[in-house]
Amino acid sequence: MADPADTRDAALLFPIELTGRGFYVTVGLLSLLILWGAIAYWTQFDEGLGVTGLHQPVSWGFYVTNFVFFIGISHAGTLISAILRLSKAEWRRPITRMAEVITVMVLFIGAGQILIDLGRPDRMMNIIRYGRYQSPLLWDATSISAYLTASIVYLYIPMIPDIAILRDRVGKRKLLYTVLALGWQGTEHQQKVLNRAIAIMAVLVIPIAVSVHSVVSFVFSMTLQPMWRSTIFGPYFVVGAIFSGIAALIVAMLVFRKAYGLHGYLKPIHFRYLGQLLLVMSLLWFYFTFAEYLTAYYGNEPEEMHVFWAKFSGPFWPFFWGMVLTNFVIPVLCLVRLGRRTIGKVLIASLSVTVGMWLERFIIVVPTLSNPRLPFGEGIYFPTWVEWGELAGSFALFALFFVLFTKLFPVISIWEIREGREVGLKEVEERLLTYLPDTAEPRLAEPERGW
Amino acid sequence: MALWGMVIDLDRCTGCQACVMACKAENNVPAVGAKEARRGRIISWMQVLTEEEEEHGGEVKRFLPRPCLQCDNPPCTKVCPVYATYRNPEGIVAQIYARCIGCRFCMAACPYNAKYFNWYRYQKEAPGQNPDVSVRSKGVVEKCTFCHHRLQKARERALAERRELAPGEYVTACAEACPARAIVFGDLSDPGSEVFRLARSPRAFRLQEELGTRPKVIYLTEGEGRG
Amino acid sequence: MSRVTGAPDRMVRALQWAMAGLAVLFIGGIVVWIIHLIRTAWQLQDVPSASIGISLVAIPVFLTLLGVILYVFVGLLGDRGGR
Repeated sequence: MADPADTRDAALLFPIELTGRGFYVTVGLLSLLILWGAIAYWTQFDEGLGVTGLHQPVSWGFYVTNFVFFIGISHAGTLISAILRLSKAEWRRPITRMAEVITVMVLFIGAGQILIDLGRPDRMMNIIRYGRYQSPLLWDATSISAYLTASIVYLYIPMIPDIAILRDRVGKRKLLYTVLALGWQGTEHQQKVLNRAIAIMAVLVIPIAVSVHSVVSFVFSMTLQPMWRSTIFGPYFVVGAIFSGIAALIVAMLVFRKAYGLHGYLKPIHFRYLGQLLLVMSLLWFYFTFAEYLTAYYGNEPEEMHVFWAKFSGPFWPFFWGMVLTNFVIPVLCLVRLGRRTIGKVLIASLSVTVGMWLERFIIVVPTLSNPRLPFGEGIYFPTWVEWGELAGSFALFALFFVLFTKLFPVISIWEIREGREVGLKEVEERLLTYLPDTAEPRLAEPERGW
Repeated sequence: MALWGMVIDLDRCTGCQACVMACKAENNVPAVGAKEARRGRIISWMQVLTEEEEEHGGEVKRFLPRPCLQCDNPPCTKVCPVYATYRNPEGIVAQIYARCIGCRFCMAACPYNAKYFNWYRYQKEAPGQNPDVSVRSKGVVEKCTFCHHRLQKARERALAERRELAPGEYVTACAEACPARAIVFGDLSDPGSEVFRLARSPRAFRLQEELGTRPKVIYLTEGEGRG
Repeated sequence: MSRVTGAPDRMVRALQWAMAGLAVLFIGGIVVWIIHLIRTAWQLQDVPSASIGISLVAIPVFLTLLGVILYVFVGLLGDRGGR
């Protein structure tokens, strides 16, 4: 199957073989942002969390928002790719790899946010030595490490045949590719092992991914605080996570499509399907948000209403209505009709959702803290350059990881594309035939026994 | 075993802040400076909250001294990932400064905002501080401990003199300092104690009782003589 | 089997098995860690039920992951040895 003479998919190997000026410019720009983040973190490490805008009572701000946001993005990945694989959606083939890469990269960034947030990062190891499982933070630690392990495996296993292609075709980094290819020759036995492992992982990764964002939401919903203590937070966060994940995936796909000239692989049809998925998630997200806020409003509990009005018309109104606009109004308007200019509309909707889901995480974390139950007066939160630096640095680090990955491994699965051409076409036809009524013995649709 | 508790009579409280100052001096609570205070980073284990009474259009103020309420079912200890805060057998919610990693989950979980964070290193060890209380480093959470060091001292003294700890021998700094005698401290499990009696007064209530946190700081509402 | 790299075949295999070993160490470490947390909670009588409940789910999940990893390593590397 991995015939080295097959040169049809040379475009996919191109970014690995040759490196242009664009790559160095990108890495340079990203490094500048990362430097900003690094300086910000060094300042914070040296002087204390006082350099941020956090205070009493808003003791959690950008970092926790980023944590929830980045962990949410990670659902792009593996979850979508697993669902598409399990449902045998043939259009998945050029998408899955990128989705899986996003997951792995962004999980490191997300978990890192908690470390940035610590007042005493030097005592980080206390979590390992003295951790206690009553705390939802430990649930996060366990669940995220399971997800990280699973998503690395789920990225690596389907990449083995591609690494073997690289080993045989690319002149560089022979040792790395030879080791990672695990002696892949495409024998029948090897293919059986690989397909079985991918199938198991696709099933396993879904419950793990769902558990990850449920326990992230439990950090908030296990407390007694108004507008946090909500039973729908688990599913609400999972829906939001998949929503933001699809948006991030679409943005990444469009960036690499342009940068590496992958127009032949990532066609408008792929974006239309993903756009429809995004539309469905947008509606689902709106439904959850509506249910969440209506319950609070109808109950009319004073403490909840403080937070509610702070979001609706108080100091946080630009964020709240901005979230409604970017998560619901813009995507629905863009995606409801995808006949013409599909790519442009899908791009606008995805960028909008990426911003909107960050706002959503922010609007969940901060207003509750800034409206304490006792009469302290409201606490307003203004982030400083340190927090902005960490935010920019985190995004840049994610982008840098992704770019470096594309220089080492193909960003679109070569063997899965080939499999689609060689096996998929026939399989789909056969599968379709099994859906249809049997035509072997033509029979009129008359009841066998008269009723 | 004793169950330490406090009764605060709001009818007697004049809002004079003597308890706040006594607490700061006793527990080496740092003064954060005007700039930090403006940013909302005052550390005050005992804090007198003021509330304007709605009926009188802001003319009458209500005072509510709020130490850590030492809940019997504390929401903060549950969420601590490293056992840096826990309820000890005598009901005092303790904070281990040397263990705390500064994640501030307990601050987010406390419905009374009774926990404070050292955003910077606000003070170093210096003469004039209370030697019985450790000076907190930057990046850790701190809170009222019912002057726990006083209990340890009183207990050691009693042990050296080979006797039981007498009632009234262990009192918090705020209770001692209150000129209006609004704060009464003692053993809630001792039927002979004043706090035991006051806690059962018809005027007694607990803050946010409906949350089920079961605070051991009990308030007495303002009496009918007001207004 | 075609030699595609200048590196000796034995070294490549050693590195590949080292990767599998790393996976065993990593997941083994996590399982030991979870057990350590149960023990700590038990000793302090600090809600051991939470630790036990979570570990009942977490440990099998991690072991399944390890199983898949080892299955792939043995399945792919073993096949090459047989050729």
